[in-house]
Amino acid sequence: MKTSSRRFFGSIVAAAVGLPFLSLMLWSFAERWFYPALWPQAWGLRAWRYITSTAGLQVMTAIGHSVVVAAVTAAVAVVIAVPAGRALGLYDFKGKDLVSVLLTLPIIVPPLCVAMGLHLWFIRLGLAETYAGVIGVHLTFCLPYAIFVLWGVFANYNPDFEDQARSLGASRTAVMARVMLPMILPGISVAALFAFLLSWSQYLSTLIIGGGRVTTLPVLLFALMGSGDRPVAAAVSLVFVAPAFIALLFSARHLGNRSLAGVR
Amino acid sequence: MTSPRTTGADARTRQGPGAVALSLALLPALAVVLLLFGGGFVLGIVQALGYLPGAGLGEWSLAHFARVLTDPDFLYSFLLTLYIAGASTAIAAGISIPAALGLASLSERSRVIHFVFQMPLTVPHLVIAIAVMFMLAPAGLFSRAAMGAGWIASPADFPLLINDAWGIGIILTYVWKEIPFITLMLLAVLRHTGRDLQDVGRTLKADAWQRFRYITLPIIFPALGAASLIVFAYTFGAFEVPFLLGQTYPMTLPVWAYKHYSDIDLMARPEGIATGIVIALVVMTAVILAQVLTKAARKRGLIA
Amino acid sequence: MGELDLKNLRIDYGARIIIQNFNLAVRNGEMMSLLGPSGAGKTTILKAIAGLLTPTGGDILIDGQSVRDVPPEKRDAVMVFQKPLLFPFMNVAQNIGFGLRMRGQPGREAQRHIGAILALTQLAGLEHRKVHELSGGQQQRVALARALVLKPSVLLLDEPLSNLDANLRQRMRELIQTIQSETRMTMLFVTHDQSEALMISHRVALLLGGRLRQVGEPRELFYQPADPEVARFFGGRNFFKGRVRDGQLHSDLGVFPVGPQNGNGHVRTATIRPEDIRIAPQAAGLSRGLRGRVVKTRFEGSSTRVVVACGANEVIVLTSEDAYRPGQEVAITVPPEKIRLFPGD
Repeated sequence: MKTSSRRFFGSIVAAAVGLPFLSLMLWSFAERWFYPALWPQAWGLRAWRYITSTAGLQVMTAIGHSVVVAAVTAAVAVVIAVPAGRALGLYDFKGKDLVSVLLTLPIIVPPLCVAMGLHLWFIRLGLAETYAGVIGVHLTFCLPYAIFVLWGVFANYNPDFEDQARSLGASRTAVMARVMLPMILPGISVAALFAFLLSWSQYLSTLIIGGGRVTTLPVLLFALMGSGDRPVAAAVSLVFVAPAFIALLFSARHLGNRSLAGVR
Repeated sequence: MTSPRTTGADARTRQGPGAVALSLALLPALAVVLLLFGGGFVLGIVQALGYLPGAGLGEWSLAHFARVLTDPDFLYSFLLTLYIAGASTAIAAGISIPAALGLASLSERSRVIHFVFQMPLTVPHLVIAIAVMFMLAPAGLFSRAAMGAGWIASPADFPLLINDAWGIGIILTYVWKEIPFITLMLLAVLRHTGRDLQDVGRTLKADAWQRFRYITLPIIFPALGAASLIVFAYTFGAFEVPFLLGQTYPMTLPVWAYKHYSDIDLMARPEGIATGIVIALVVMTAVILAQVLTKAARKRGLIA
Repeated sequence: MGELDLKNLRIDYGARIIIQNFNLAVRNGEMMSLLGPSGAGKTTILKAIAGLLTPTGGDILIDGQSVRDVPPEKRDAVMVFQKPLLFPFMNVAQNIGFGLRMRGQPGREAQRHIGAILALTQLAGLEHRKVHELSGGQQQRVALARALVLKPSVLLLDEPLSNLDANLRQRMRELIQTIQSETRMTMLFVTHDQSEALMISHRVALLLGGRLRQVGEPRELFYQPADPEVARFFGGRNFFKGRVRDGQLHSDLGVFPVGPQNGNGHVRTATIRPEDIRIAPQAAGLSRGLRGRVVKTRFEGSSTRVVVACGANEVIVLTSEDAYRPGQEVAITVPPEKIRLFPGD
């Protein structure tokens, strides 16, 4: 691509991606910003101070809930997805198509429908308004995503390496731990990242199952939007985006050229 | 939906691990899916069909579905949701194709662009919806810029872009999020099959447009189709964005469903669930339709 | 008509010079092999001729017209790659008909051409097969058919047989030869296999060390190599020096009559091919030829390679008799008419 076209392309991408962030940053540092001023009339840290002290506990709790739920969901999803992805990626067997369809459905069907259906049952089981319940409902779609990522990883995986290791004297466990895991580590990172981000951004399913108890960051943010306090909402939005963004930076450095293709 | 195919130099139907080991490997996954997803879905159908022993409704009936489907607002909501999902998907997919081609032709030096392009993937829909609201509201940033440039005289002159009849704000939000999603899926395919087939095309007398139409497009089509389907399914069933940026009437189907579900009147709950089931059925139909069309096209050698 | 002329071709890749001062003329209807070890730049030359690569300097002419500024889509040359690279989503017939569709020639006419090519490449009956259902040899034939059907002036083949196993390679060679003689299409065939080049070509162009060393009929390169490196490439051994005096070559291996045109008083390098040397066990009394002792032998199937120490020299002999053992005393005879003297030194 010519340099001039590259610059043009790059600027469009930068502008399109950066503008929303800019608007959030401006609002989060605004003390007074009335129409039609293009820049805040007064800058300040009120919103940031608010969310770190006055509403600090609320925000911290919400962050805590979000982190716990997303992290556990990601962990469980990966642990289940590795053997499943391996089975699907390496072998052909009767019913494989059926399994594929079964795993596709939870991705296609909106979480709303599942959450509404599960709610009653979870109430009966005492899972409503608990971490476990929310994690459970998140797993319904996070798990299939993780499985598909690892399916792809294993489809390109060469099991000959394992054979080689065994013939050099490694036990089955050693092969899993020292040959397979390192080789699929990038794939595991991507799958975990997916699952984490998917769970992190969930609103309605958390609201329905979690009720008022498990208040994650998106639930808090939604409530804040209702209050009309824009700077605070902007600040919380930025807090909301931060971990995901850091995760992207981390993965970009460590996964090299591999992108987050597939994360929604 | 395209599942990764186990093909290539390392493909083998290996001496399998045996039925037992295979089942053990898949069991946890299938258990979760069948119990949680399957259970949730089935229970939803059951409740929508009126069977709610706890609340004193012990009869099976289609009344809830009937009430939902015959509600005059249903049709408007359905069409609105279809329009928003369809437009978002079409626009995102349409822009993604040249974007993917552009990214594919970028050299290694342009990793920054690649990185920046991925950023929207990490932003939850809720956040970008809020940002869109800040930017496109009648008194938002764009309006102020227009005022400053002298294009408008008051907020009322600024075109209505959010909470509007055409769902422009909603569609823009979806498009912002979904273009990187689709583009990166296309990029993966383009990088994989790349240069060689282009050279073959050129030596076989195909010009640039012909190569795009007859070689590139068929190869990216499965990924394009799969990604678009996911986007359509998501945008059709999403709640947050239309709730924040949509009109109060008509509302999209998911918003409608939740409104009923969370209504104080407990009797409205099954109707909310029934609406949810309808949403799920629409999405599943779309998937089946896509599968059928893909199979047919594949048979005719139109796509990979 | 398909005359190909490469004039002073130069191709750089960044700071590296891949090809320079390359001049070659391929005649109409000729099958020429571009022979040389891997990595010598042969594929690069083909790509330049096909238009997939822009040369840094020099010119390429097809039928007397320069095609330097003509894009590959419009050039009357088609390239067949090392890997079949068939379009995975099309079946055999659609793959073959691709170029015709691109040129805007679909329809009955095209169907006839495709049918003819299918017969020519022995693919009849496989029209509707999907690409992944084909064997390696079948795929390569489809790739060939796909190019042939366009009836280009020049067909460029980039080692199309390297990925096939030995038997298949032989059958494909014969097929390509048959097709070439039937269609009289000008073909430039790149290979690193010297016996393949000798087998199928009208002429061979040998590329060694980045330079074109010799261009000529197979027999010429084999029996009259231009220099020792060329000889060595075709399996020549036994290089020795000698001084020419009065029409005779005086060397360690003996005195041999050589023609008067080889200069007088000069030292020349000569070679004799291993299979041309006659070897016999030294029978007591009979001492015709040079004496020597077998150093080692290597059984190679239809022939045995025997290394013989003759005085200070080592001579390599190829014989069909597996009758020699290390340490054995033998007598070798060098027929003077088989000695090849290299021009100059």
